[in-house]
Amino acid sequence: MTRILAAVVLVALGAFPGSAPAQFNLNLNRLIDTGKNLRDAFKDVDEKQEAEIGAEYAAVLVGASPLLDNPGVARYVNRVGRWLSLHSERPGLNWQFGVLDTETVNAFSTPGGYVLISKGLLARLKNEAELAGVLSHEIAHVVKKHHLAALRKSKGMEAGSNLLSMYLEQGGQRSAAAKERLVGGMKEVMLRGLDKDDEFEADRMGVVIAARSGYDPFGLPSVVQMLQGLNPKDSALALMFETHPDPGSRLDALDRAMGTRLDKFASQPQAAERYASAIQAK
Amino acid sequence: MRAALAALVLAAWLAPAAAQETGFAVRDTGVKKEPFSDAQTVGTLAEKAQVKVLARQGGWMQVEAGTLSGWVRMLSIRMNSGQSSFASGLRSLFTVARTGSSGQTVTTGVRGLDKEDIQNAKPNPAELKKMAGYAVGQSDAERFAAENPQLKNQKIDYLPVPK
Repeated sequence: MTRILAAVVLVALGAFPGSAPAQFNLNLNRLIDTGKNLRDAFKDVDEKQEAEIGAEYAAVLVGASPLLDNPGVARYVNRVGRWLSLHSERPGLNWQFGVLDTETVNAFSTPGGYVLISKGLLARLKNEAELAGVLSHEIAHVVKKHHLAALRKSKGMEAGSNLLSMYLEQGGQRSAAAKERLVGGMKEVMLRGLDKDDEFEADRMGVVIAARSGYDPFGLPSVVQMLQGLNPKDSALALMFETHPDPGSRLDALDRAMGTRLDKFASQPQAAERYASAIQAK
Repeated sequence: MRAALAALVLAAWLAPAAAQETGFAVRDTGVKKEPFSDAQTVGTLAEKAQVKVLARQGGWMQVEAGTLSGWVRMLSIRMNSGQSSFASGLRSLFTVARTGSSGQTVTTGVRGLDKEDIQNAKPNPAELKKMAGYAVGQSDAERFAAENPQLKNQKIDYLPVPK
């Protein structure tokens, strides 16, 4: 058994030649000990660990696409996002919002309060209520820890959660190999998407967080309708369409969930003019 | 010149974006004269009836179907997919802002952040640090919400899971 685990570890290390120096720091006994709780690796992630995982996750995203070099827009998106986060169940997280400099239409979040929206999506939104809808959907994923649930289920983590345990338990001493493995799991989740039911839940929560924050709650349904009108074969939309339920079923689910429940908040601001001028800020 | 350009861009931004968009009714739907449930009903859209979308206001959409026009609940409408190409719909404001030229347009099939980029991505801590530099605190967010238009707190429960 011990030998098999060791072999697995060596194979795993071999897959990441970039982490060569760390190979010699691996404590195999410890690895084997922690290997007992393979599937529980994320069960007891505390807020600090969640933030660490989220930072690593977000670093991969901004490694895949740089941030938009526009402090005015970045600041604006942070103000809207931070205001929304105050109306979630986790207002005290270290919420950070960013704009990815890519024409892709998409938005992402990572554990601990990192939220990223693409320039391509930002450019397609009509007003601040729509932005609020998108950011609230992402905030909901963070509040409900949907990424951690998806990471737990990812293939890379099932096989390598012993390494994950080491990552979490060793603090500053964590091995580069464990980190590589975790990054692999994150990429798997980014490419495969979150659980479909979690997407529907984030939609249901998103409209409420936007309404609690004083926005027209129909911003998010309006964005999903806009997405439905696009050509799903466009390469700039491929990743978003592959990782989310199709817009039609999201609208059906929102329709059933919202009914007329949020109608009385529909006259809250959409802030179209503020959005238009903020998006052009230098 | 710059002000004129900004005004032009702003006008384009605020123009009804949905003017060319089409969709269809997901169920038989009452068409109202105004965007309110107690407004006068001017007709009925049959399920699957095609509509032109003219505008949106709150939870309502202004639509036109042949001679019938009025307001329907926006979630009674689904959009026809693939009608707007990526390029035609994209307001390339960022491009305009950066270059000061409106001659540059984004082409269809533009390759953005895709699977390959994510697969090949290396964590970029420096960029992450930059992101942290733009974060704002609670009081900053509260000041922002007090500006015009003012955003007011509401207490609302999450929606139940639909059956």
